[in-house]
Amino acid sequence: MAKKDKEDNEFRPTGTVTVLVIFVITLIAIWGTIYMILVGRGGTL
Amino acid sequence: MKQYQVSAAEKKFIGSHILVAVLALAVGSLFGPLQAFEHAGWDFYVYLKPLIKSYYQGLTVHGVLNALVWTTFFIMGFLTFNVIFGLKRPLKNPVLNKVGFWMMVVGVVVAAIPILANEATVLFTFYPPLKANWAFYVGLTLVVVGSWVEGWGLFMTYADWRKENKNERTPFIAFASLVTVLLWQICTLGVAVEILTMLLPWSLGLIEGVDPQLARTYFWFTGHPLVYFWLLPAYISWYAMLPKQAGGGKMFSDTLARLAFWIFLVLSTPLGFHHQYVDPGVPPAWKFIHAILTFGVFFPSMMTAFTVIASLEYGARKNGGKGALGWIGKLNWSDPSVASQLLAGILFFFGGIGGLANASYNVNLVLHNTAFVPGHFHLTVATAVTLSFTGISYWLVPYLTGRKLWQPKWATIQAWVWFVGMIVFSNSMHVLGLLGAPRRVPLNLAPYVPAEWNSRLFQVGLGGAILFVSGLIYLVVIYKTATNKERVETEVEVPIAESMQDPDSGPIWLDRWSPWVYGALALIVIVYGPVLFDLIKNIALTSPGFRVW
Repeated sequence: MAKKDKEDNEFRPTGTVTVLVIFVITLIAIWGTIYMILVGRGGTL
Repeated sequence: MKQYQVSAAEKKFIGSHILVAVLALAVGSLFGPLQAFEHAGWDFYVYLKPLIKSYYQGLTVHGVLNALVWTTFFIMGFLTFNVIFGLKRPLKNPVLNKVGFWMMVVGVVVAAIPILANEATVLFTFYPPLKANWAFYVGLTLVVVGSWVEGWGLFMTYADWRKENKNERTPFIAFASLVTVLLWQICTLGVAVEILTMLLPWSLGLIEGVDPQLARTYFWFTGHPLVYFWLLPAYISWYAMLPKQAGGGKMFSDTLARLAFWIFLVLSTPLGFHHQYVDPGVPPAWKFIHAILTFGVFFPSMMTAFTVIASLEYGARKNGGKGALGWIGKLNWSDPSVASQLLAGILFFFGGIGGLANASYNVNLVLHNTAFVPGHFHLTVATAVTLSFTGISYWLVPYLTGRKLWQPKWATIQAWVWFVGMIVFSNSMHVLGLLGAPRRVPLNLAPYVPAEWNSRLFQVGLGGAILFVSGLIYLVVIYKTATNKERVETEVEVPIAESMQDPDSGPIWLDRWSPWVYGALALIVIVYGPVLFDLIKNIALTSPGFRVW
């Protein structure tokens, strides 16, 4: 049990952080692309 | 450690839900590819007359059976299992749950009759002033009320458990299932009021007209949290089962998981106006508030992504996984249940991104009512949810029937074929939407389709064909499993990942219902109350019904 707990405590989810950073970058890129389409179509005041 | 034994009668009851769900999926999925083929210029509807009379009738069958019936039956079956297994006790009042189940079954039949008779070609959103036969509304009401009754049975079971376990933390799968049931009970009040106060009396001729704006507002009170009713059961599996299946992982944080479910309960209903950004009857300030709350749901979503991925990473690294991303290869990809859910999760990343674009008050103007929207929800309900449910069924059906999964390799192939088909289909739908292609339109007949859409429309058809093949493989695998003569040697083990953290060490307020329930109700009253009050005060039951099919 003690060994298990040690393993748990030492675990750092660095891969998870990498995946989520990729997600956020993709999110910004896609959202930004759609936003540029919106801007490209012009304002309708 | 020996697992809790679910009785044969309970297994049969849960299995009945799965059976109805799979039958609905089977019929509904026949019509999905027909929409895609139509876009590609291959119109099979002409061969289906007089049985199916139009593209829109097919789209209604597809939407109602796949988005409403397949999901609701599978979910109620899976949640019932989770409550029984999680609390380690039988249902308090199995007759009540059976009454609920049969109400749902009768409701499906009653709604199916007018749909098949082309008397309810109103799509699964049934927006008035499109007017369906009264039986369609009665059928939908029975399905919703039946699911409420089943939910009450689950709450009664929980109340009994709580009496005997005053100081215990609710086991996670039972806790999360009950939150999901409660979310459903709250959010479906919208369609219940819509149908009972307007659509049903209108369809019966008791009132002459309908107020489409008020009806849409009621609908989206239910419509968006419906997405979380679909997603949360998949999340339960991703949080508490998938890590164990994927390589002996543990749930990274019991506290984060519980907190995420509570936030979903509080935030998932008071944000329906993000589906009504272009509706004229809702003041912009309220739309903006709903937009902010919609972005609030991003937080529990990211908490879920973090916890689930970390749980998977923990198991993968224990199995020798290395590197920033290399550990992903150490997950148990050969298990069809795992492969299905991992692939569902990968595509859900893009579904989440599309969802945020849809929810953005300004960017939505580019996407609203375009093919982008069905492209998006085929990544969410048709992949994150459906592929997870099919993955769950790959262990649940053998567990319930005591029969071995037929040809696991084919089950794994099915998941990959769906993944590939959905990439082709959904990507082309997203792009078409950005190019301005409208949704809910038989584009093969539209005279305004520019040449630049053609290659994408072909890809929609191609993707639909690949998805159709995957659907067929799934049905064969499940049928052959349910009738497999080869039985499992010992009962299938229910995959429950233990938590890294002792659940008892988490904050006690995460196991208290009243603050969250009152908070959810208060927020709904605050952000829906003024607009609903205004719409009801100025109700205009003036629109006649239209039959445009």
